[in-house]
Amino acid sequence: MTTDSVPAGGDPRRLLSDVRFLAHRVRLDQRLTWVALLVLAAVTLAGIPFDWLGMRVDCLPDGGCQFARRGMLYYWPPALPLAYAAIAVCYVRAARARGLGARVLPYAITGAATTVVFPAAWLAVALYLSEHPVPDHPLPYWGLVLDRLVMPWGMIGVALLVLAWLERNVALLLFTLAYLAMVLLVLPMNTGFGPFQWGLRAEMALPQLVSGALLLLGAIGFRLADRRHR
Amino acid sequence: MTAETGTSDPHTPPAHPVTGLDDVVHQRVRLGILTIAHEARRVEFGYLRTQLRLTAGNLSQHLGVLETAGLIEIEKGYAGKRGRTWITLTAAGRTALAEEIGRLKLLIARVETTDTREDR
Repeated sequence: MTTDSVPAGGDPRRLLSDVRFLAHRVRLDQRLTWVALLVLAAVTLAGIPFDWLGMRVDCLPDGGCQFARRGMLYYWPPALPLAYAAIAVCYVRAARARGLGARVLPYAITGAATTVVFPAAWLAVALYLSEHPVPDHPLPYWGLVLDRLVMPWGMIGVALLVLAWLERNVALLLFTLAYLAMVLLVLPMNTGFGPFQWGLRAEMALPQLVSGALLLLGAIGFRLADRRHR
Repeated sequence: MTAETGTSDPHTPPAHPVTGLDDVVHQRVRLGILTIAHEARRVEFGYLRTQLRLTAGNLSQHLGVLETAGLIEIEKGYAGKRGRTWITLTAAGRTALAEEIGRLKLLIARVETTDTREDR
């Protein structure tokens, strides 16, 4: 960029290339991806004891167990809006310190809006089961995936997709797709797992621990990339 | 702001995109200011000066031109004891930027078409 006036016959390719370069530069300076991932990792990991302590487990003499994850219901609806508010504040403050406006508000609003999906789905299932018998056959695979999607960890991924789009951040998009693949297809967030007979609470905690660790690793990776970039 | 490129007479060839270029926007620094203000929503004077590598006086001149044309709004305030100047794009500024980029793309397309014909 120079202060010279560009004649009408100036090279349009160079002008367009300058425009693209500057737009990209501003987007890079507005990003604070690692903070968003760090806050979401903290919220995910902090949710584990709530789920553990708030879970009601009734085991029957035949070995089968029924459980209700009440802790999740009390923890996530207030925790996620608070997390998105914290992320929005961090973004606005960091952008302002760099001399820029922030573009995080649509992400924070989307994130906060997704918070209602989980309690709404829980309520819908509870209402359904109050009038219908509990199905004796397991959910089909697509039903399990849909169940995982409406859970807070799936909704975190959906909101991260919005952030990747807002920031035009390809790295975040790829990370989010990998994260969503993990929490929707790989980790049994709604049924739990463990290599040994750990007990239901521990089996439910393990997938949450993995998804929290994944977000934390993402935060560290984006932070390192950010530092190298600056 | 800009000349019309369309024409009602189907026999008259459409005007060359260069005739529609707006001198206020079709200037590298001012185009840069509009681009940054558009992406940033709101941008501080110091950020513009650093990114565009301008002196304060030079940048002020360009900002004055854009403000007079109604393409940006300048707001002065304080962050603690430090004075700060924030620049925001107006609706007219957004339109002017979009039109300028559209015309630049049109010009490039026109040049490439001409080059292809000359190659034949």
